[in-house]
Amino acid sequence: MLIFSVFKTLTDQQVTVELKNDLSITGVLKSVDQFLNIRLDNIQVLDAARHPHMMAVKNCFIRGSVVRYVQLPAEHVDTQLLEDATRREAANPSKR
Amino acid sequence: MSSLQGSVDKRVLLILQDGRCIVGTLAGYDQKSNVVLSDSKERVYSMDEAVEEIELGLYLVKGDMIILLGELDEAKDDAVDLSEIRAEPLPPVRY
Amino acid sequence: MDIASGIQEPFDLIRLSLSERVFVKLRGDRELSGVLHAYDGHMNLILSDVEETIMIVDLPEGQTEGTGAVSMAKRKSEMLFVRGDGVILVAPGGR
Repeated sequence: MLIFSVFKTLTDQQVTVELKNDLSITGVLKSVDQFLNIRLDNIQVLDAARHPHMMAVKNCFIRGSVVRYVQLPAEHVDTQLLEDATRREAANPSKR
Repeated sequence: MSSLQGSVDKRVLLILQDGRCIVGTLAGYDQKSNVVLSDSKERVYSMDEAVEEIELGLYLVKGDMIILLGELDEAKDDAVDLSEIRAEPLPPVRY
Repeated sequence: MDIASGIQEPFDLIRLSLSERVFVKLRGDRELSGVLHAYDGHMNLILSDVEETIMIVDLPEGQTEGTGAVSMAKRKSEMLFVRGDGVILVAPGGR
């Protein structure tokens, strides 16, 4: 729930999603759901020369379970707020 | 997965767990993101040969197999000369 | 039970590492060192000032295990979300 909320606050920001097939995709985060499935707009594949498969793709839907990392825009992440929210959720794990 | 609604009747690219790439027109989908494509083709990439397109026609793909679904810019996709492209096939997903 | 008094369960160790540097071992021969800002019950993590180390074992065709050359790739990221299913362990301190 917590991480889902964090991603919601980052909608319309640019992120880079690294998948478990080693593909890295940069784009504008358009939406996220409870499974952390991700929708990206205006995408670009890292190392497009090696991966021309998605050349003509404008936007995409990524299954949450195949995400390895998401690089977040640090300037839009309030780390103090995150830590407080994490402690709160740890103290009250009912909503996990 | 309600967000697939906007892609119905559009040309889409699917990337599957095993690395396969399939393009087709999104005819429909359900809750579990099972997807039906019409006019679909698999694109097989290799380093030594041109991209091979295998006609699949009307095709149902199980949602579990799909790792990525992207909407294609049709003009851009049509402009790509697949016979010129050499690329490694995408690796399968390793959990 | 007063959880503030110490470590009662494994996740307490992670909680006490909030805003501290942690070492994370991941599937696929990857390791991270970063400052922990958030986690949840799936061990999804958010880290900042992250250094990732990827171990790449080059096993030439037909060679037996343990004979390949090991190379390491390093990468840095400012702020990183790590999906919990890849996490093997989280330890306090950046090694």
